[in-house]
Amino acid sequence: MSRQQVRGNPRMRRGLGSRTSDPTTMMEDPPSGDWLTLRSDQFLKWVDDAVYNIAEQTGIRDVVNRVTRPIFNWALRYSPWPLHFGIMCCALEMGAAGGPDHDSERMGVVYRSSPRQCDILIVNGPVCEKLRPKLKTLYEQMADPKWVIAMGECAIGGGPYWDSYSVVAGADTFIPVDVYIPGCPVRPEALMHGFLTLQKKIREQEPGYFLRR
Amino acid sequence: METGKLIQQLGKHKGTSNSSALRSNVGCISVTPEASSAFFTALKEDFAFDHCSLISAVDNQSGFELVYHFSIVGESGQMLEVHVDLPRDTPTIDSITHLWGGADWHEREAYDLMGIYFIGHPDLKRVLLPDGFAGHPLRKDYVYEIHEEEW
Amino acid sequence: MAEMWIHMGPQHPMTHGLWNLRIKVDGETITDAVPELGYLHRSVEKIGERRKYFMNTTLTDRLCYASAMTWTHCYCLTVEELMGVETPQRAKYIRTIVLELQRIASHLMWLGAYLPDLGLITGFLYGMRDREMFLNLLEIPSGGRLLYNYVRIGGVKRDLPPGFAAKAERVMQTLEQRLKEYEDLYDNSKIFRMRTDDVGCYSASDAINWGITGPNLRSAGVAFDLRQADSYDAYPELDFTPVTTSASDGISDCFSRYRQRIDEMYQSMDLIRQALAKMPEGEVMADSVPVRASGEAFRRTEDSRGEALMYLVGDGTDRPYRWKIRSPMFTTVSASPHFLKGYKVADVPAIMGSIDMCIGETDK
Repeated sequence: MSRQQVRGNPRMRRGLGSRTSDPTTMMEDPPSGDWLTLRSDQFLKWVDDAVYNIAEQTGIRDVVNRVTRPIFNWALRYSPWPLHFGIMCCALEMGAAGGPDHDSERMGVVYRSSPRQCDILIVNGPVCEKLRPKLKTLYEQMADPKWVIAMGECAIGGGPYWDSYSVVAGADTFIPVDVYIPGCPVRPEALMHGFLTLQKKIREQEPGYFLRR
Repeated sequence: METGKLIQQLGKHKGTSNSSALRSNVGCISVTPEASSAFFTALKEDFAFDHCSLISAVDNQSGFELVYHFSIVGESGQMLEVHVDLPRDTPTIDSITHLWGGADWHEREAYDLMGIYFIGHPDLKRVLLPDGFAGHPLRKDYVYEIHEEEW
Repeated sequence: MAEMWIHMGPQHPMTHGLWNLRIKVDGETITDAVPELGYLHRSVEKIGERRKYFMNTTLTDRLCYASAMTWTHCYCLTVEELMGVETPQRAKYIRTIVLELQRIASHLMWLGAYLPDLGLITGFLYGMRDREMFLNLLEIPSGGRLLYNYVRIGGVKRDLPPGFAAKAERVMQTLEQRLKEYEDLYDNSKIFRMRTDDVGCYSASDAINWGITGPNLRSAGVAFDLRQADSYDAYPELDFTPVTTSASDGISDCFSRYRQRIDEMYQSMDLIRQALAKMPEGEVMADSVPVRASGEAFRRTEDSRGEALMYLVGDGTDRPYRWKIRSPMFTTVSASPHFLKGYKVADVPAIMGSIDMCIGETDK
C-alpha cells in the first residue's frame, strides 16, 4: 500500500489503535454530566465545552498560563526522554553516552522503549526505504510535545551512503528535525551537547501551555 | 585429502572443467548448470564438504556466474570454489538448500539482488529489499537516480 | 488454544538493531518464527563498485560498527590477495594486536547488551565501563573511537606509539580482575542460570549444516577457528588452540555461548601478550600498493561473530567489478527459527541476545 493511500484513509492512519467496527455501536452514550464514564473522544468534547471555552472566554487561561508555564517548561527541559531505538553506528555511541563514563542520565535523559512515553526521537543512522514508513509511524505514535534529533551524517543527508539506491537522503525529508549533530560517528560528548542544545531550544520555544490546543 | 588429489578426483565428474588449485588448501573448479545438482550431492556426501560459506552471483554482462564457496569444518580448513555459468535470459539453477541448510538465505539474496532463480527452493522471495521493489539492483544494467555528481 | 502471530521489531528492546522477528505462538510456546531483515540495507556492495579500492575501507568500517577493525581487515586482506601485495612483518603483528583488542571490545559490548536483556541491568554498566578502556586503547594509534580506518591495504596507517604495550598491559590486568568478578557474579547467579541453562539448544552437526560459525559454533564443542584453520597475519607464529565449551556433548545453549565469549576474552588477552612480546621492528606499510587490479580473490577471517568472507572481482580498473560480503550473522539469523521453536516467548531475548547479533553486517 502506498503512502498516499495510507494518508487518504483515516482508519489506516490511526495505525495500531485503529478500530475495526464503528465505535458508536460499541457502547451506549453515557448520561451527560458524568464525565468519569466518558469515552476519550466524548471526553475531549466535554473538556472543550466545560473547561476550555470558559477558561478562554473569561481570561483565566492566560493567568494560569503565566503561572504554570515556567514550571511545565522546566519539567520538560530537564526530562527529555528519548526513544530507545538504535539504527546504526551512532546507536552504540548513544549507548555509550548512557553508560557510566558519560552518564547522560544526570541530565534527565532516560531511554524508554515505548514511543508513547517519549519526547525525543533520535535518528541515529541511515534511513532506508524499507524503514521510512516504520520510522514515520514511530514519530506519529509519540505524544506532543516532541522533538527529533538527527544524529550523524547518515541521518542528516545520507552520509557515506549518499549514492545508494535504498537510503533516504536525510531524515528531514519526511519528519521535522530540530537538532542536527554532525559527526561520523557522533561522539558521546557531541550527543550530550546536542541534548543541551535541545534544552536551550525548549526554553526558547516556551512550550508547556495550560490547556493547549 | 590433499588439494591436488581432491581436484583431480573432482575433475572426473561429468560436466566439470578448469580444475586448479588456488592456494595450498583451496581448490577451484567449473561445472555446467545441468550437471551441478549431481556434482553438489557428491561434494556433500563423498568429499565431506559440510559447510556452505557463500554463494555470490556475478553479472558478467554476457551472462551470470554463480560462485560457490564450500569448506570443511576441521583443522585443514580446506575450501573449494565452484564456478557455474548461467545464460542471461534464463538464469536458473537447482537449489542446494536440501544439502546445506545455510545456503537458504544466500540463495534468497542472490534472487533478491541479482535475479537468479533457484529451482526447488522452499521459500524463494526477497530478503533484503521490500516486497514491492522493482528490478534487481546488483545487475549492471540496473539504473537508479543519483542526485549529486560523482567525486 | 488459538495461535497468533506476534511482531517483535523493528523497534523493540530485544532486537538490538533493526530487524523484525515474527513469532507464532500457541499460548506462550513458540511454534514458528520468521525473521525479517532489510531495514538497514544500505547497498554497500553496489556503491562499493563506484568507489576506488582504497576508498572502500570507509564502508567496511561501517559494516559492523561493534567490530569495525575486523571487517576492514578482512577487506584489506582480500585486496592484498587480489593485488599481490606483501604486508611487512611488523604490520602483521600490529594487525593481530588491534584485531584481538577489537574482539575483546566487541565481546564486552555483547556482554553489556545481553545481561540487561535478562534483567541484570548492572551488566550494561559493567560492560560499557570496561569496553570504554579498550576503545581508548584503540584510539591511541587510530584516532577513532568506534570506527578506525586503521588497517589499510598493504599495512596499517601508522606505527604503535611508544608505551603502548605498557598501557595495554595495564588495561588487560584490570579486565582480568573484573572478568573474575563477573564470573563469580553471573556463573553462580541463580536467576541468570535459570534463564540461560538449556535454553536455545542446538547440536554441533545441525549448526554446521545451518552455516553457524564462530563463537556460536565453538560453544557446541567444535574446535573450528579460522585464525588457525585458514591462518593469516601473525597467528601462525602464535601459540594457541581454539577454546571450546559445550553444555553437554556437542550441544550449545545460551549459557555455553556466554561462557564461550568470556573464555575467548581470556584467550585474546593471551594472544595480545604473545604478539606484543614477539613483535619485530620495521616498516608498517608496504613499499608500493597498486591502484588497479584484475582477476578474482577471496579471503576469510575469524570475525568477532564468525566467518567473514569477502569475494572480489577486478576488471583491470581502479574500482572493484563485483564485491561480495559473507556476513556470519546473516546465516545465523536464517537458522534462528530452528532453535527458537519450542521455547517460551520470554526466552526470545535470551536466545537472540546470546548469538550476538549485529544488523549492520547482516543487512549490508
